[in-house]
Amino acid sequence: MPAGRPGPAAQSARRPPPLLPLLLLCVLGAPQAGSGADTAVISPQDPTLLIGSSLQATCSVHGDPPGATAEGLYWTLNGHRLPPELSRMLNASTLALALANLNGSRQQSGDNLVCHARDGSILAGSCLYVGLPPEKPFNISCWSKNMKDLTCRWTPGAHGETFLHTNYSLKYKLRWYGQDNTCEEYHTVGPHSCHIPKDLALFTPYEIWVEATNRLGSARSDVLTLDILDVVTTDPPPEVHVSRVGGLEDQLSVRWVSPPALKDFLFQAKYQIRYRVEDSVDWKVVDDVSNQTSCRLAGLKPGTVYFVQVRCNPFGIYGSKKAGIWSEWSHPTAASTPRSERPGPGGGACEPRGGEPSSGPVRRELKQFLGWLKKHAYCSNLSFRLYDQWRAWMQKSHKTRNQDEGILSSGRRGAARGPAR
Amino acid sequence: MSRREGSLEDPQADSSISPLPHLESKIQQTHSLARLLTKYAEQLLQEYVQHQGDPFGLPGFSPPRLPVADLSAPAPGHAGLPVPERLRLDEAALAALPPLLDVVRRRQAELNPRALRLLRRLEDAARQARALGAAVEAVLAALGAETRGPRPEPAAAAMAAATATAGVFPAKVLGLRVCGLYREWVSRTEADLGQLAPGGPA
Repeated sequence: MPAGRPGPAAQSARRPPPLLPLLLLCVLGAPQAGSGADTAVISPQDPTLLIGSSLQATCSVHGDPPGATAEGLYWTLNGHRLPPELSRMLNASTLALALANLNGSRQQSGDNLVCHARDGSILAGSCLYVGLPPEKPFNISCWSKNMKDLTCRWTPGAHGETFLHTNYSLKYKLRWYGQDNTCEEYHTVGPHSCHIPKDLALFTPYEIWVEATNRLGSARSDVLTLDILDVVTTDPPPEVHVSRVGGLEDQLSVRWVSPPALKDFLFQAKYQIRYRVEDSVDWKVVDDVSNQTSCRLAGLKPGTVYFVQVRCNPFGIYGSKKAGIWSEWSHPTAASTPRSERPGPGGGACEPRGGEPSSGPVRRELKQFLGWLKKHAYCSNLSFRLYDQWRAWMQKSHKTRNQDEGILSSGRRGAARGPAR
Repeated sequence: MSRREGSLEDPQADSSISPLPHLESKIQQTHSLARLLTKYAEQLLQEYVQHQGDPFGLPGFSPPRLPVADLSAPAPGHAGLPVPERLRLDEAALAALPPLLDVVRRRQAELNPRALRLLRRLEDAARQARALGAAVEAVLAALGAETRGPRPEPAAAAMAAATATAGVFPAKVLGLRVCGLYREWVSRTEADLGQLAPGGPA
């Protein structure tokens, strides 16, 4: 709402009203009886102003009906009557208004400044557009799904609040040749985004920028230069399967398939796995899953349901040196670890802290050993398999030993009675 | 609603089957459609005033009733006319509304480009007016009443008005007027069909 003091000379920027096929407007100067149409006119019509500026407007009655004067006229702005001290009669047929320190427009279609007759009927109206020019958009980020398209997102300058409708246009061109192109599919992944669906070249850089325009001016972002191959992402890995590893109560095996759209190009894809206990919201992430399509999760709680997801980063595609962009996570896949057969506190095995495979001194040392093996040998997977086989053998032989000791104990008792004849 | 359903002159029809149930069914369907569109028209009006800002939508807001090319509100004596004549006037108004609603939608697309629901409602209203008008015309045909002949396109008068300079406030007022007329005419059509529907006064 404007301050209640007359301000300096108006700085209104009169924007010519657009000529549009308004099929319905009555002929100017031929008002209907009793309709109040066009018996007065407000000037300026539909001005555009900066926040904090001033406006001087006039309402001039036509003199229809004869003898009509500006006596008794008053102003409203967005339905609120303006204080009389802001108005003054310039002459018998003209009422002036002075508004200072204007606030930003309340609605994008413009603030409604209306001139009323004494009886409250509407004589004329004008819409004020008060706002700010756009600031430079920034933080443009783009990604290509399977090298087929390009989606970009940006942040509007000044958080986008200009109080005026601001149009954002994403432009792009090949860096060294070609004309400017304009993206056409907006709001695909949020209000400030655009999708270019086709006709994109590889192995050559694009220049991309965003232009913001409103009634008060325009602004252009910095130019982002990129090669499509450097911003490739893909679909989540399909066919994620999670299964038990034999009877091992603290492990699950995760397998997946390379994303099919890029499977012929993913020479260096890396993957990430995350997993959580069924009734927890805390995910644990396994980062170091390079170009493999399987992984063993260890150090898990026995008898527990886990949800597992996998995602892929197709970095290095076609020789790109950039980091690549992670895909979305795959749909969660659930599996449960076997229940522990060993008695222990709480009825289950003591789970390693944090569920990490490396917790516990023995496992820590083993991990270090296997890490060394990985660097110096080509059989790290074989090593884990061997280790698991060894563990399973150990458990089995532990049981057998217990049984033997039981037999042996009874045998000793028998032997004490003397050797069998 | 298919015109085929409204045909009373199928030579294959069994002459012992009275056409009245078909006519009643058609009237009832059209009446239901009009009732539904009356509700939608009210929602359109609410959505429209919301996006124009105050004083639009305030109680007592009484803008100038600008005349609209080729369309006026139902006359005070409308309810006293014979039902077929009322339906003819309803049908004529419903046929005139779609291009007017289209113009309002185009203007609102400039003034309120982010008001997607409003723009969608305006687009739907044009389609719904066409559908209801066609249904009313089918009812009139089934009643054996004459329908109006082809109407002259309002292009000449419209284009003359189109060249006039149009400010934003008058455009808002005019859009309100068109949405108001749409609501008045679908409501009027519902009432007129109600006279013919089973259980109605007719």
